[in-house]
Amino acid sequence: MAEIVGTFAVSHTPVMTNLPHAPAGLVSDSVFDAFRRIGERIAHLEPDALVVVSNDHLHNFFLGNMPAFCIGISERYEGPVEDWLKVERKTVPGARELSAHVLQYCLDNGFDPSFSLDLVLDHGMVTPLTLAGVLGRFPIAPVLVNCVQPPLPRMARCMELGKVIGRAIRSFDGASRVVVLATGGIAHDVGTPRMGFVNEAFDRRFLALLGDSDISRLCEYSEAEVNTAGNGAEEIRNWLVAHGIADSRGFELHHYAPVTEWYTGIALGSWRAA
Amino acid sequence: MINNWLQKIPTGEAYQINRILYRIQHDREEEKRYVANPDAYIARYTELTPVAAKALESTDIARLYLLGANPYLLRAYCLQLRVPEHDYLAALKAAGEELEHG
Repeated sequence: MAEIVGTFAVSHTPVMTNLPHAPAGLVSDSVFDAFRRIGERIAHLEPDALVVVSNDHLHNFFLGNMPAFCIGISERYEGPVEDWLKVERKTVPGARELSAHVLQYCLDNGFDPSFSLDLVLDHGMVTPLTLAGVLGRFPIAPVLVNCVQPPLPRMARCMELGKVIGRAIRSFDGASRVVVLATGGIAHDVGTPRMGFVNEAFDRRFLALLGDSDISRLCEYSEAEVNTAGNGAEEIRNWLVAHGIADSRGFELHHYAPVTEWYTGIALGSWRAA
Repeated sequence: MINNWLQKIPTGEAYQINRILYRIQHDREEEKRYVANPDAYIARYTELTPVAAKALESTDIARLYLLGANPYLLRAYCLQLRVPEHDYLAALKAAGEELEHG
């Protein structure tokens, strides 16, 4: 059976790769260092597969058919789809057997995600994996959560999905070591009148609640206050999926900085392996 | 209170706007047809409401936002059309003022 040897969460804003020098050098350098250190930790764990929890930004999905949750089950993925991201397009291996197992396990255990054999990767996965230096190094199993076009799945539902995915991974006998990486958030606005404002107080409270044992308080706070932190903050759903996968235990913050030049509260953290 | 989204459930009008933003971003042929003649391109979409058609023809970012254009699609659309960042942010601010003061 597979063991979850590490669970991580990081911000994924595309401006980190297309406008890397917008903030002062010390600010961006410390963020890039934090990404490199997470990449080194992931590599050191020698995973057989990387479950990446993120969200599509209206490249794969559109209002014609918008899944709340989708699991990629391909043998390979291409990305990034965005020409403007300033990251070279490449093909990366997929952990198809693990993805297929997680999909089936979800369907058998109270969740009905859609699936796709035709996912293209966007900055949500490509930017953090590139900054961490692990893009294409380990086969990925993508899990996508709708965070960009309402109506959105409830915060508590995302955490519940994480719990089921965690059990799915631990019941998979085709790999021994799996790492989870969630990406997105935290406070930021994309394309709204508030763009450029970073609600640092929201971020600090959300991060503190991740380290707390009361999951209902975390979910209630997320649901009630996300509107104060921006439409990009809706991506904390991906963090909540990771929190569920990690059994809501042992969160540690590695780095946080409200970076207004990148319009975003940048955070990186991990959960202690159980 | 400011909300993250203007529409909890997208309207048909927003769908028609978003369809154009999506296609021009994801289909090189559609992009070429749009760039060659924006007005003629938009005129083909007869399902658009007159106010939405006008907002698209004049790249009225504030109006498109207020009509329910998805902020991510509108952001990428403005990057694609090379709308200067300052103008883009100013248009969004104007939309915010309109929301606040009517």
